[in-house]
Amino acid sequence: MKLRSFVLWLAFASLSALPLLAHHSFSAEYDDSKPVKVTGVVTKVEWQNPHIWFYVDSKDEAGKVTHWAFSGGAPGQLMRRGIYKEVIQPGMTVVVDGFRAKDGSNNANGAKVTFPDGRQVFTASAEDRIPEGKK
Amino acid sequence: MAKSVALIFVFSLACLYAQNASTATPRTPDGKPDFSGVYEWPKASSGERCRCSATVFDRNLMSPLKPGGEPFLEKPNGDPRHDEPRNFCMPAGFPSGMLSANAVQFVQNKNYLVIVHEFQRMTRVIPLDGRPHRKGLEPMYYGDPVGHWEGDTLVIETTNFKRWGLDDYYYTDKNQYRMHSDALKVTEHISWKNPKAVAYRMTIDDPKTFTAPWSEDFTMAAKPEWDSTGLYEYVCEENNRCPGGKCPAP
Repeated sequence: MKLRSFVLWLAFASLSALPLLAHHSFSAEYDDSKPVKVTGVVTKVEWQNPHIWFYVDSKDEAGKVTHWAFSGGAPGQLMRRGIYKEVIQPGMTVVVDGFRAKDGSNNANGAKVTFPDGRQVFTASAEDRIPEGKK
Repeated sequence: MAKSVALIFVFSLACLYAQNASTATPRTPDGKPDFSGVYEWPKASSGERCRCSATVFDRNLMSPLKPGGEPFLEKPNGDPRHDEPRNFCMPAGFPSGMLSANAVQFVQNKNYLVIVHEFQRMTRVIPLDGRPHRKGLEPMYYGDPVGHWEGDTLVIETTNFKRWGLDDYYYTDKNQYRMHSDALKVTEHISWKNPKAVAYRMTIDDPKTFTAPWSEDFTMAAKPEWDSTGLYEYVCEENNRCPGGKCPAP
C-alpha cells in the first residue's frame, strides 16, 4: 500500500473512534429497522455542511442501476482530524452499510463503508446506530 | 564549600523560576488572565452522557422542578419544526450551542471577550467594561451577556433569553427535550485550571423552572495545535438535504 493511501486510510479509519456531532436526530430521519447494504461505485461527494453526503450507484445482475445517497459527519470536524475529501472519491468501489431514510427514499445514513481490499470505516455520527450492533 | 552551596542555591532559584514561568497564568497587558486561544468544547469529568457527541447537563445536579416547571421536559408533537428545530438550521442557542462537540475560540482584549463556537458559528461578544445589560431587547436565542472580573476569574452573566432547548439531551430521550424558560439567567465562571485547561462553570438560574439555581463544572482543554487551522466554516443552510427528515431523491 502506498504511503499516501495508507495515511488516508488511517485518517478515515479513525472515524470509527471519533465523536461526530450531527445537528439532526438519527431517529428523526432514519429507520433503524431498515438496514441497507449497498455495493456500488461512488459517483459524487458533497463535502459540505452540515453533513457530508456521498452518492453511490449500484447495479443488479440485470444491469439495472439504482442511485443511493449516504450522509456522514460534518466536514470541519473531519478536517480538524486530518481527514479531507480525498479520502472518499468518485470512482471508488464501496460497500455501504447503513439505515434507510424514514421516507422510504434511497437516502440513508452511511454508517459503515467497506473498500475492496477489506478496509472498513465508519462514517456515522456518534449518536447514529451502527449495523450489527458494532460501533 | 561555600562556593558549592551558592551554586546550588542559584541553580535551585533558576529551576523554580523556570517552573513558574511554564505554569504562570497567561495575562493580558493590563494584568488580567488571558483566555485567548482555541479550545475543545466544555466537557464534564463525570455525569450524564448524551447519546450524541455533545456534552449535556447532569440531571443529578439540577435542582428539583418547581410546580409549574413541568414544561421543562417538552414532549414531541410530531411536527419536526417543534420537535427538533435545528433540523431546519435554527440556532442551537446558548447554553446548548456552547456544549456542542466542536472547537471554540476565545479572543480577548481589555474591553471584550469574543467567544466563537464552530458549531453554527455561534458568536458571543461579551463586554468587560462594566456596562449593564442592554434594555428593551426582544428575547434572544443567545441572550445578552456582560462580564466582570472576580480576581483571576471571569464571570459572565447572560440574560434576556427566549424559551429554547437547554441542551442536546433530546438525542438520548426524545420525550425529554429540555426547555429552559424565558426567565433563564446563565452565569459562567472561567479561570485557568492549569496551563493546559480552563475551568468552566455554568450556573443555571431559571426561576420559572427550578426551585433553586444549580451549577455544573466543566473543563475546556486548550488546543494550541488547532490555532494554525483556526475554526472551520459551518453554514448549515449550505447543504441541509433532509430538513425535517424529507430528503430529495438521490
